[in-house]
Amino acid sequence: MIAVVAQLGVSLLSILALAWLAKLLNLGGDLRIRDEDHARRLAQEAVFGFVATDIVIDRAGMGALLKDAQGRQMLLRRHGAAFVGRLLDRRLEARLDQNFLTIGTGEKTFGSITLNLGDAAQDWAAGLRHVPA
Amino acid sequence: MTIPNLPNPIDYAVPGFILLIIIEMIWAKRRAPEKYEPKDTLTSLAFGLGSTVAGLFVASGVIAVSLWAYDFRLMTIPFAWWAWILCFFIDDLAYYAFHRSAHRVRWFWASHVNHHSSQHYNLSTALRQTWTGFFAISFIFRVPLLFLGFHPAMVAFIGAVNLIYQFWIHTEAIDRFPRWFEAVMNTPSHHRVHHATNPRYLDRNYAGVFIIWDRMFGTFTQEVYEEPIRYGIVKQLGTFNLLWSVFHEWVGIAQDVWSAPWRHKLGYIWRQPGWTHDGSRETSDTIRQRWQEEQAWKISTSSSSAADPVAAQPQAG
Repeated sequence: MIAVVAQLGVSLLSILALAWLAKLLNLGGDLRIRDEDHARRLAQEAVFGFVATDIVIDRAGMGALLKDAQGRQMLLRRHGAAFVGRLLDRRLEARLDQNFLTIGTGEKTFGSITLNLGDAAQDWAAGLRHVPA
Repeated sequence: MTIPNLPNPIDYAVPGFILLIIIEMIWAKRRAPEKYEPKDTLTSLAFGLGSTVAGLFVASGVIAVSLWAYDFRLMTIPFAWWAWILCFFIDDLAYYAFHRSAHRVRWFWASHVNHHSSQHYNLSTALRQTWTGFFAISFIFRVPLLFLGFHPAMVAFIGAVNLIYQFWIHTEAIDRFPRWFEAVMNTPSHHRVHHATNPRYLDRNYAGVFIIWDRMFGTFTQEVYEEPIRYGIVKQLGTFNLLWSVFHEWVGIAQDVWSAPWRHKLGYIWRQPGWTHDGSRETSDTIRQRWQEEQAWKISTSSSSAADPVAAQPQAG
């Protein structure tokens, strides 16, 4: 029993050391959404068939909002060294504060993100009232 | 029959796993830092540790079931050299059956999804192992070997060797091997396809050690260089929360079964991941079908424009 606990303790220390090494080596980098083409591609990857027709990107490139011809709206946000996307529905929570739009998908574990959308923030906040059920 | 006292090969392999992860991290630092992400790595490794702990809790249950099944064996297969080789092949076929089911039946997927939930593909991903395999009764796929007459100790040892083989193929640091090797063995290239979410790759390359099973049963797809691979699951988790990552699909099943009409409840357990009684979600089959239709449309429009360039151009007015 003691041997098993010791083995698990060593395993725990090893995984912490490996994660620390990944951080020490600065792995992961600093990914940002570069431009509309990049955002469009990420959205298509997140939901196959989502062809964005209207895009607004956070000033720092940390996320984006996109619409397609069917009226669907997608939130893209950074997740570690990758991006994740969600189609927005009635569960969304949005809060506008001047140029900053804070959006939650209603999924607790997905969290919320505050996007600096500049002058476009108000229009996009209004557009969120029309997401599908 | 003398039963040898077999060690657990994984205990001996773990230092090698750690060393190879460090080497791959150094490779990533030089070539592609985005291939690793510290939080993702920690989550993957915590999955591995949790899986080991879960294994300790259920070990006695697995042993009991194995010995029970072995009591009903058709014959007694000795610990001979040929038996080890035979067991390895049959076990790998059993793994293929398990793995295919793990992607096509939501009950098994709820456990196996853990291994696929990283958006990265590196050696730490290999250690992203399930905590709920016993609960999902995944071990039933190895029971036929016991009924055949392979001793539980041999089956457990071979299963561990199979798992160790699968560790090193979780990497983007290796491109491709010579054709003869790629034709027979599961390789990093083949397994990258398996972890991909690109529609062309969904639910392909289920092999453990030998890729021949996929070639035989029509589930093989070759990696193509033209299309960058995206890793993870169709609906990415978007969180590093360990407990949610472990149990999210089980929670999803419970919610779906609870809210579904009575006659559809079981469908949310035994049908494909993504299946819904009202068609409101997509399965890998429907996503691939849409992708194939899109490809066919692109080919038809490009060939018609080649034959008649004017016809394919958008008409004004």
